[in-house]
Amino acid sequence: MKTTMKLIALLLALGMAVCVFAGCGKNDASSDSAYVQDKGTLVIGITDFAPMDYQENGKWVGFDADMAAAFAASLGVKAEFVEIEWETKTMELNDKNIDCVWNGMTLTDDVKNAMETSKPYFNNAQVVVVKSGVAAQYQDADSIRDLAFVVEAGSAGAEELDALGISYKEAATQADALMEVAAGASEACVIDLLMAYAMIGEGTSYPDLTYTVKLNSEVYGVGFRKGSDLAAKLNDFFAAAYKDGSMIEIAEKYGVLDSMIAQ
Amino acid sequence: MVETVISALYGGFLVSLKIFVLTLLGALPLGLVIAFGSMSRLKPVAFLTRGFVWIVRGSPLMLQLLVIFYGPGLLFGWNIWGGSDSGRLIAALTAFILNYACYFSEIYRGGIEGVPQGQREAGQVLGMTRSQIFFRVTLLQLIKRILPPISNEVITLVKDTSLARVILVYELMWEGQRFIKSEGIIWPLFFTGVFYLVFTGLLTILFRRLEKRLDYFTV
Repeated sequence: MKTTMKLIALLLALGMAVCVFAGCGKNDASSDSAYVQDKGTLVIGITDFAPMDYQENGKWVGFDADMAAAFAASLGVKAEFVEIEWETKTMELNDKNIDCVWNGMTLTDDVKNAMETSKPYFNNAQVVVVKSGVAAQYQDADSIRDLAFVVEAGSAGAEELDALGISYKEAATQADALMEVAAGASEACVIDLLMAYAMIGEGTSYPDLTYTVKLNSEVYGVGFRKGSDLAAKLNDFFAAAYKDGSMIEIAEKYGVLDSMIAQ
Repeated sequence: MVETVISALYGGFLVSLKIFVLTLLGALPLGLVIAFGSMSRLKPVAFLTRGFVWIVRGSPLMLQLLVIFYGPGLLFGWNIWGGSDSGRLIAALTAFILNYACYFSEIYRGGIEGVPQGQREAGQVLGMTRSQIFFRVTLLQLIKRILPPISNEVITLVKDTSLARVILVYELMWEGQRFIKSEGIIWPLFFTGVFYLVFTGLLTILFRRLEKRLDYFTV
């Protein structure tokens, strides 16, 4: 009985695979890139997230925003930025309200299942932030156990602390958590590495804060509609932009070069 | 789910209630002191008090909370409150009491100055001391006059307790809001409104009764 079930399942899977491949070949004329080029705009779904996407003088800038604009130009279309609700990004994509999600998106299994994703282009991590004066004492995961933590409620940092069994206070945003540590109300917080680049250390509002332990590592990618050929096109674009140095230049401009993944 | 939400909101409400009660206990008497300060015949005292009232009434309570709690740590590297829940609550109460005392002080001042000068003079003619005149002649009329504006402030305070969340005092609104992120449900946020409405409803009835009690004389 079991073996027949398995056989049927295998046959079904094979059949589906064939359909998918066949579909790919036939639909070339109405591919996603053709759709975008027809309407003349690439609509990019973003949120306000420095240093990837943020507004300056009414214009969207940032590492992701600049790269997205360059990619749109390479397709010969206009880039249009639209702010979205992060929770409903897949729905926005499938409803064709946007053509891609390009906003420091962590490539989780959920995201990879729901979208056609590009190669990872960025390393991110959840990092522990403490005052520079005591940083030397907190360089490994064991030493941080007894710190009084504060993290953004429901964030990836909170999940990491949950996994380690470390208790914490909740703040409304990562920025609020940083202020807690700077004022000495809490001893440590957990934020995105990319945010740490932008907000702590020399030349920022928090010169006396520094990050120590990385609690996890994750990568960023760009998401397109499932089955879209734009993901492959973007991979080629990334490779070319990395080779000619323009991608590195943009990363340097926003101070995020350390996190970029070679293409 | 509903039970989890209600019990979390109830826990938050108790924190709000604590802020509310302790703020009134501190601000009602302190307001009287400030009122006397701003009416003082010593010019520097009156000047300083009025300046203080201007600063407190002229800036957002949320900003005052942030300055009082984070200010010492950010400016001088010395966090005077500590990061514990009780330290945060004390910092919040300090901000609330100072803020509300200033508003109350102006209400008191209006009430005191509204009692005709002739009554005070009459007291002096009868040989009463200044404090006797205040407690036996002015005070009761004062209370009756100021009750409606005070009830306004008290009801505003119920809702202002929600500002304490900016220094991570987890009051009612915070508890409602946290479900959006943790569980992805939004109704608890709006359900907090029921708690506020029931509580202010009770206070409204209470103030009506108090006003009726004072109806036996007119001023």
